[in-house]
Amino acid sequence: MVCISYDSSFDGFLSAVFEIYSQRLDVGSFLPDRDTETPADLFQQNFRVETNGDSAMRLRRAIVNQASEDVLSLLSTAFLSEEAGIEMKILAYLRKLFAGDDPNYGKNPASPEMLPLYKIAGAVRHEAGNMLGMVRFSKGPGNFYIARIEPKYDILLLMESHFRNRFAFEKWVIFDAKRKYALLHDRVGESRVVTLPDEESFVKAIQSDSFTRLWQDYYKSIAIKERENPKLLRRCLPVRYWKNLPERQAMAAPAL
Amino acid sequence: MDVREKLNILSAAAKYDVSCTSSGSRRSAPPRGLGDACPAGICHTWSSDGRCISLLKILLSNACKYDCAYCANRRSNDIPRATFSPKEVIDLTLEFYRRNYIEGLFLSSAVVGSPDATMERLVRVAKELRTVHRFGGYIHLKSIPGASEQLLHEAGLYADRTSVNIEVPSERSLTYLAPEKNYKSVYGPMNYFAERKIEYSAGRIGRYTPNFLPAGQSTQMIVGASGESDFDILTLSAGFYKQQRLKRVYFSGYVPVNADKRLPALTTKPPLLREHRLYQADWLMRFYKFEYNEILDARHPNLDPYLDPKAGWALRHPEFFPVDLQTADYEMILRVPGIGVKSANLIVSSRRFCKIRLETLKKMGVVLKRAKYFIYHPDIPAGVRQFYPELIRPLLIAPPKHSQQLDLFSPPTTLALPSPSSIALPALAASALPVAV
Repeated sequence: MVCISYDSSFDGFLSAVFEIYSQRLDVGSFLPDRDTETPADLFQQNFRVETNGDSAMRLRRAIVNQASEDVLSLLSTAFLSEEAGIEMKILAYLRKLFAGDDPNYGKNPASPEMLPLYKIAGAVRHEAGNMLGMVRFSKGPGNFYIARIEPKYDILLLMESHFRNRFAFEKWVIFDAKRKYALLHDRVGESRVVTLPDEESFVKAIQSDSFTRLWQDYYKSIAIKERENPKLLRRCLPVRYWKNLPERQAMAAPAL
Repeated sequence: MDVREKLNILSAAAKYDVSCTSSGSRRSAPPRGLGDACPAGICHTWSSDGRCISLLKILLSNACKYDCAYCANRRSNDIPRATFSPKEVIDLTLEFYRRNYIEGLFLSSAVVGSPDATMERLVRVAKELRTVHRFGGYIHLKSIPGASEQLLHEAGLYADRTSVNIEVPSERSLTYLAPEKNYKSVYGPMNYFAERKIEYSAGRIGRYTPNFLPAGQSTQMIVGASGESDFDILTLSAGFYKQQRLKRVYFSGYVPVNADKRLPALTTKPPLLREHRLYQADWLMRFYKFEYNEILDARHPNLDPYLDPKAGWALRHPEFFPVDLQTADYEMILRVPGIGVKSANLIVSSRRFCKIRLETLKKMGVVLKRAKYFIYHPDIPAGVRQFYPELIRPLLIAPPKHSQQLDLFSPPTTLALPSPSSIALPALAASALPVAV
């Protein structure tokens, strides 16, 4: 059994799957590079796979042919969850798909291999959709609008097109504080992933201005006291997001 | 008065307007402009009462000339009054929008001067946002009852959605509570928009056809301030959906803001459960293909507080149940209590490939708490596939959440057993005893 280490990208994972098929590897687990905490398994041999664009492309095409575009995008979305063991789940699905026992396998959303992926992808899309509203920009130096987010899943790139279209003529940067990379947009029609040279000064540039205070006021005065419902609030707006929302920052968590 | 003070007063004055959706409109950002509209709508945050905030919801002014009994801004209330200038509203909207606080603007106003003058100021804000600032975000305008058709037409060209609130679900109560209003003035703008919208969407729609009210209209009615039954309310809203083609009808549980002898006392709690049940019924009409007269009828004029309307319907119609998930129509699966649109879609798209067993449903995440009584699946033998509504009803009604906790320190209360002497055994005749042979 081998433990495959790869560069934690989806293309890297697909290249690894390609190698598994071409070299007939017996895989026990995957170890993405971002995971530095899990110690190497003593009973598994480490096997490094470098990302190869061609083999990833071939595998993408094979998935589309065997199943559909939708399935490919579902797999890549589920992969963004960064959940431990997600690679093995996708691999199990791909093995069943490519075995070709059932020609309709790719269309069945309730197969035992697909159902968990379907749910994980749903959770990732759900967070990406919610996060569109929960990014809070503040005006920084040079008319740059700066935001800091800490999503559970790696969804920054899923939100890219939304913000690129909406704020096409603004300059903005969204920083994922958990994964330490940012999305930067300073020209029309173009945004790119950057790693920030200096996180400290970036966070310092996020300051509240008079509109932040107005927003906090507005937030307080729009609530109806007689209808207060802390449980519903937490269900809609989980506490883990409050840190980066100026309107909730100041408020202590309401007692349930 | 500075902007901050005005914002506090005028947003607090607008908070009883329920509508806060930003959905129904697809617009890409205008050339060199700011913002677009996303058809699904985006919630930006939730206030501490659990309601979503997606728009900057404010009044342009709260200095009202009307004196409606249920309204916090009525003429006879002694409250601070404020009025925004159009520029202040526009600045707030654009700056909030750039910081991604909001999805757009919800602008309403108390009636200041004539309805036309008020409407004209609302339209001016929307027009300036769209034309001068090239704002592509969402705009919801309130239409003022009694405003002229020309102004309404202009509002429809700049706004995504307009609304005019019916407020009270029957005309008799409306004229009683709001003497200056009547149904005619409310229906006027609503019908006008509905007709224009049909006109604009008729014929060939080209690139240059102006977008007229892409997100349609909505309205709102207060629940619990006057004596209408739930059946009256649902009948009225079904009419709105069908005739005026409204996108949404909102219900707002009456929060007592004024001491008035025509209204419930100030100490009454808002009827939140009733409002919730009405919304459930509303969802059944909009997404589950129910007719209003299926949910309630003249014999059942009010919704059951203990059961959701779908379960109530199912128990009144045992002839449709249990439902076979393997073969039933999508519409019938939607009618099973506990199964929603998502689950029904998943069941329909996967049953071609595998049998739907109880296990499969659990793995799909279908909520079986209520659904299990209304479906049958291959694991149940055919002989016991029976449906008894009178047995199921008590199972669906949730028991009270907390039973009283036992106290650790109070003296234990033991059941008082009767003393042996007090037990009167029935006298047995000796002959009745079995005799050991």
